[in-house]
Amino acid sequence: MEMSPPAVKKSPSPRVLVVDDEALIRWSLSESLSEAGYAVIEAGDGASALAQLSNGHVFDAIVLDYRLPDSNDLRLLERIRALQPAAAVVMMTAYGTPEMTSGALKLGAYRVVPKPFDVHDMVDVVGQARESARGF
Amino acid sequence: MDPERILGAIVESSDDAIIAKDLDGTILAWNASAERMYGYAAAEAIGRNVGFIIPSDRPDELKDITRRIAAGERVQHFETTRVAKDGRVVDVSLTVSPIKDASGTVIGASTVARDITVSNSRIQQLRDSEERLRSVVEAAVDGIVVIDARGTIEAFNPGAERLFGYTAAEVHGTNVHILMPEPYHSEHDGYMRRYIETGEQKIIGIGREVTARRKDGTTFPIHLSVGEMTLNGDRKFTGIIHDLTSRVAMEEQLREQAALVRLGEMAAVIAHEVKNPLAAVRGAIQVIGTRLGAGSREASVVTDIIARIDTLNLLVRDLLLFARPPQPHPIPIDVLGVLGLTVNLLRADDSHGNVAVTVEGEAPHILADAELLKIVFLNLLINSAQAMKGQGEISVHVSRDGADCVVVVTDTGPGIPPEVRGRLFTPFVTTKSRGTGLGLSTVKRLIEAHHGSIRVDSPEGGGARITVRLPLA
Repeated sequence: MEMSPPAVKKSPSPRVLVVDDEALIRWSLSESLSEAGYAVIEAGDGASALAQLSNGHVFDAIVLDYRLPDSNDLRLLERIRALQPAAAVVMMTAYGTPEMTSGALKLGAYRVVPKPFDVHDMVDVVGQARESARGF
Repeated sequence: MDPERILGAIVESSDDAIIAKDLDGTILAWNASAERMYGYAAAEAIGRNVGFIIPSDRPDELKDITRRIAAGERVQHFETTRVAKDGRVVDVSLTVSPIKDASGTVIGASTVARDITVSNSRIQQLRDSEERLRSVVEAAVDGIVVIDARGTIEAFNPGAERLFGYTAAEVHGTNVHILMPEPYHSEHDGYMRRYIETGEQKIIGIGREVTARRKDGTTFPIHLSVGEMTLNGDRKFTGIIHDLTSRVAMEEQLREQAALVRLGEMAAVIAHEVKNPLAAVRGAIQVIGTRLGAGSREASVVTDIIARIDTLNLLVRDLLLFARPPQPHPIPIDVLGVLGLTVNLLRADDSHGNVAVTVEGEAPHILADAELLKIVFLNLLINSAQAMKGQGEISVHVSRDGADCVVVVTDTGPGIPPEVRGRLFTPFVTTKSRGTGLGLSTVKRLIEAHHGSIRVDSPEGGGARITVRLPLA
């Protein structure tokens, strides 16, 4: 059984918000990220993601799908960045275009990962994004 | 009614100048047309000698005519000139007849003069008109072919010579059906017979799009309009042939483009909609896989499932690449460098282990998108490698030809089967048992996005030769 090395468990687990309307994607990311030591909260659309980010919880990372039932552009990313500028954001999408990718990076996303992806790679990318957000 | 009055009315209303004179030439009668033609009123002319309308350079003419009239002869259609009051010279055709008294003695002459001045200028007009028509026929881009009622070619203009590849001399006197492919070739005589017999118009006066046949046997689409005429009692048919090759090709291209756009839209939707569930399945099965015993049968099945999903994803990626080729972001690049990288990518794939690739030649930098060119070259190399079943040689030659960089890829494979040569760039046409048939279509689209061109040949000696031309920077 292969797994990313678990995070050192001294401080409380880093918190990750996984936003996707596809339950299987939420499940696989949630399982993999938990195994890697993250505390994972799930959201199935933009509104519940924003609700999670607004209720006082601070997130270390957000894994955000580009196309959601209530979001089909980069405005959601913009609002998320405004609410929690310290959180590292990794976007994922099945609809990537070069314009969308460069727009997301300009708004501060760490990376845009095309779907489908390897879940272990995604766990690595989330780790890198957090390091990058903390300024190493 | 008085016959003399009838005669007088006829004389007065005649378009010809009618003059009566005695044997001395003294004018006795002068009709309205004579007034118009010569400009003298009857009152001015009657009683004078007719010599005043005869040009001075014809002093003997009147004497000769008078002598013949006196002898009882008639002078017919004698062409000469007369001078009108205003000095105008009138071309006339004269018919002079003796006037006899009751005893039969000639006492004078009647002269009927027809103004043929107009007719001479009319001849010139006709010549000019014919010249004009001839130059139109000669200069026409369209082919013009005249046949008789049996279908024999009587005229064949330079436009027709260009279209059909025959000279006018070659086809004069032959049956027009040599310009038609089967079945029209065999059926044309019957068509003509039926038309002549029944008058039922299938093409005459209507015009239609048909296929024509060149001297070399190739065919091309034309619009044919046929007119019928009668020349000296013989029926003739004039065919005007307008070449539709470029129009048909353009229509075909437009149809193809429209189809590609629709296909592209559809493929893009499908591809995107497939990717999301692929991500869901891949992620979930991967997580499940990590929970199975390492080395178990189930774990290896999961690994296989993931591999299949990745293959499916590559197919979707190819479909998207074809359907929505990315806009090139051109920078000056070294084609040989890109080819080198591409060859390394091919070598990294073990299934092409026994394929030897050589790259040679040189060319200046071109403006292109290196990533897209890599896709182009990799597709071409993989095609060749697969055609050779992983065994043989691929040689790539780069050179400069005018304003183009030319990349020629040749292989030692079996060449391209004749039945697919015409459809190489048609999407979803493939000779492989597995494959999407998108490779060459995508390659073509990407090259065209770079304003280049691609052609594929299957030379006599075997193998395939692909020539890619890309404009230099």
